[in-house]
Amino acid sequence: MRDFIRQLGLLRYMNWAMVLATLSLLIIGVMFVYSSCYISEDLPVRTLYKRQVMWALAGLLCYVFFAALDYRVLRRWSWTVYAGCLVLLLAVLFVGTVREGAQRWLTLVGFDIQPSEPAKLALIIILARRLGLPGIYYADWRRVGGVLLLLLVPVLLILKQPDLGTAMVFVPITFIMMYGAGVPLRTLGLIALVAVLAVGCVLGAVFLPEKLGFSPELQEKFTAMTGLSDYQRSRIMVFLGVADDPLGVGWNKLQSEIAVGSGGLWGKGFRNGTQNILGFLPRKVAPNDFIYSVIAEETGFMGSLGVFLLYAMVFWGGIRAALGARDKLGRLLCVGVVALLFCHVFINIAMTVGLMPITGLPLPLLSYGGSFMLVVMAALGMMQSVHIRARRVIY
Amino acid sequence: MELNSPWDGEHLRLRVIIAVMFAGLLFLAGALWRVQVLHGLEHAARLDKQSIRRVRLPGLRGSITDRHGTVLAGNRPSYCLALYVEELRQPGRSRQTIDEVVRVIGEIGEIIGLPAQVNRNDVRTHIRRRLPLPFLAWRDLSPEALARWVESGVSFPGVDIHIEPVREYPRGTVAAHVLGCVGRAGLSKDEHEPYHFYLPDMQGQFGVERSFDARLAGLAGGRLIRVDASGFKHNEQFEREPQKGEDLRLTLDAEIQALAESLMEGWRGAFVLLDARNGDVVAMASSPAFAPSRLGSQYGSLRKDPALPLLNRAIEGQYPPGSTFKPLVAIAALENGGVSASARYDCPGYFELGGVPFRCWRRSGHGSIGMRKSIEQSCNVYYYQVGLKCGYDRIYHMADAVGFGHHTGIALDLEMKGLLPNDTWKRRVLKDGWRSGDTCNVSIGQGAILATPLQMALFASAVGNGGRIYTPRIVTEPWEEGDLVKEMAWSAGTLATVRGGMYDVVEAETGTGRRARIAGVPMGGKTGTAEYGPREARRKYAWMIAFAPYDNPQYGAAVILEDAESGGRTAAPRMARLMAGVFGSKPVFPSPEEEAAAAAAASGQEGVAL
Repeated sequence: MRDFIRQLGLLRYMNWAMVLATLSLLIIGVMFVYSSCYISEDLPVRTLYKRQVMWALAGLLCYVFFAALDYRVLRRWSWTVYAGCLVLLLAVLFVGTVREGAQRWLTLVGFDIQPSEPAKLALIIILARRLGLPGIYYADWRRVGGVLLLLLVPVLLILKQPDLGTAMVFVPITFIMMYGAGVPLRTLGLIALVAVLAVGCVLGAVFLPEKLGFSPELQEKFTAMTGLSDYQRSRIMVFLGVADDPLGVGWNKLQSEIAVGSGGLWGKGFRNGTQNILGFLPRKVAPNDFIYSVIAEETGFMGSLGVFLLYAMVFWGGIRAALGARDKLGRLLCVGVVALLFCHVFINIAMTVGLMPITGLPLPLLSYGGSFMLVVMAALGMMQSVHIRARRVIY
Repeated sequence: MELNSPWDGEHLRLRVIIAVMFAGLLFLAGALWRVQVLHGLEHAARLDKQSIRRVRLPGLRGSITDRHGTVLAGNRPSYCLALYVEELRQPGRSRQTIDEVVRVIGEIGEIIGLPAQVNRNDVRTHIRRRLPLPFLAWRDLSPEALARWVESGVSFPGVDIHIEPVREYPRGTVAAHVLGCVGRAGLSKDEHEPYHFYLPDMQGQFGVERSFDARLAGLAGGRLIRVDASGFKHNEQFEREPQKGEDLRLTLDAEIQALAESLMEGWRGAFVLLDARNGDVVAMASSPAFAPSRLGSQYGSLRKDPALPLLNRAIEGQYPPGSTFKPLVAIAALENGGVSASARYDCPGYFELGGVPFRCWRRSGHGSIGMRKSIEQSCNVYYYQVGLKCGYDRIYHMADAVGFGHHTGIALDLEMKGLLPNDTWKRRVLKDGWRSGDTCNVSIGQGAILATPLQMALFASAVGNGGRIYTPRIVTEPWEEGDLVKEMAWSAGTLATVRGGMYDVVEAETGTGRRARIAGVPMGGKTGTAEYGPREARRKYAWMIAFAPYDNPQYGAAVILEDAESGGRTAAPRMARLMAGVFGSKPVFPSPEEEAAAAAAASGQEGVAL
């Protein structure tokens, strides 16, 4: 404990630009959660921003804790954390709360937590640990297979919930970390090829039977083989333009696009987002998955670009920490965290402007949501921890 | 750092990673630029399309006044209680909002002491179809109910007084047929912009309201209502203010019009008074009449009424003109019929043509009679002979030129032409050629000939003003001169004879129209008693046409009463009373009622004396 307090002193070596960017994003997040909800008649929804402030403060505590904590202790804890998350993921399948057809939440001591969120961090830690072991020759298929196994177990558990969006994020994170760790491109290419083929098979099983005019029973059989729920199927179909229902699943996509588009260059001003005020952008999703629509509508292209800049600062800070990391564990931790953030940012915003299907991935630091806020702040804290303990020679 | 350091490759990879990420962000920035800046307006338009509702607001209809500015048709505010549903909105399903609205209506009903005018279904329909508009729970509140509402002091959120214009005819039945009435207009096809909510205009149904509808109707305005995703009103703004329609000033004089109507009370008939100098219609009355304000509710019974109150007899009624047609025959005969004013014909009381006797109204006959006297005495036999002497063609052409058998061109719908028969007509309709007997009949305004009271008033004006025929005007024009259709080239001699005869009709002691005489203003006139119906149940139309003052006529008039005694006894006293009203004078003879009373009194006295 005394040791930990001594470590707090090291915080002065943090990357302060990154701290600033993080704080700015937190404040913007609170502002626009407020903006997206202040018009609601529901008191709990109207005061959502207050809870977001609480989460942000709790997140800052996590941030400081993980920044001060020497990330090297994770070497000892990586398996424990990973195993713990798997247990939670298993638990959620049995005793989880069902909301909107998906079993994603666990209620622990009065809080709803989503075990898939810490699982992201746990995967990053375990992968950093495994891929960071000294003297590993990555062309060894058993090693690579072990890494893929670490990925597949949580992914399958999350798919079972089902939560396609979250499960999807695990894949590029792993991939980027493997690339960062130095796995040969040939190996990576092969893995990618297999993955693309697998996805192709699933999509083919979903759409081809209908196109080829198979009997309904046969179609159903193929659909069942993919393991996708009807809800997931319909979302994919709307995205691919196979199904068209602007008032159904596609509604959010359409309204989000209209919201972003009508923002123009300079936006409509804080709290003046028509789409949000009039409720065309459903209030249920506006403060979390679609917070970026609100920001884009109210601050326009310029404001949206500003948010990009802040994220870019965070990413750049993370990669700098990775470049300067004193060991491979630290470096891969940073790469993993940046990959996590980037995947969320990219997918969420691409979905907001209508480039990707609606997957329900939150936007780090901006979206309303407790579990993910804590996870992201912890991850960012870890990045600072790596930065603090860098070999101060290069850069 | 050594060249073979294992870090080098990994550093490169880290740089690749960050480069790819920045490229991803740039790609997204490009996508944002495309959506927000390049297609920004398009998306803003889509936003408006889904959240903006256009409401059409009808323009206020112009008012209609008489020539002095007395309002005959105007707009009166109707006070309604409006519920603004968005302020009564309840969370959850629309059912709860409907319940709330129904509850509020119930409470208000208790306060103002009126039963609800709407039911739950109306509320539901309104919420489904016209949600962003105010819901009018009570229309046209009485002053008492309004006072109870204002004084109750209870403040309901989302309830307010809403004012709607209602067409009103403050003079009741006065000029009803000329004014017409309004109804709710259908969707107009020529509106370019589609409206989400269409509040219809009032549209004239007949009369001036209809023929001048385009001028009276205002220009519809528009209001933009922004609604939220559930369709409730969020805010609103005017797109274009509605504009009030033009006010119309009629040529009618409300007081004279009312007088003319009162003179026909209890009768079926029509009264037309024209300005002989320009054709302006000073009064146009038809009896029985109706109240335009209440036409909507009474239309059914009015339509079935055998007295045909909806008929504007002044322009839609076609009657045989009877003896009032004789001045025209006289003019035709004098002008080019080879009959001189001094020529005398003998009237033994009948005229025999091919073994059929044509009778004069005076069985004892008028003896030898000249043109001027024939007008004063309205001798039928004289006109049988003049008509035959002059020939029907000349009569036909003169009547045709004056306007018989043609629309006068007054700006009112449903005007009838009357009928001026000739050989062609008779062959077509009755499959028979024109005979001398037909000429005799038309010469005294009987037979197939039909004319409207307006045509007769125009003819009277023309005789009065020396042959000028105007298109009758119902709406005042900024210019004084009338709309001259033609000027008949009647010689001074002809005019002197015919006008002189008409003067005698009223002013001579033996004149058939002497009961039309008024003090101080000499006038010319002609009575007529047209007979129609089967021989055993003869019914009579009492006519009188007149122009006054005699020397420089300002007015031409025609009156007709159905099922009356005679022109001299029934129509002439009414003409006297109208002219007396116009000139501020007094009738010389007592009214038929006074006459009857005096006669009764006289006979009573006699009885006592005996």
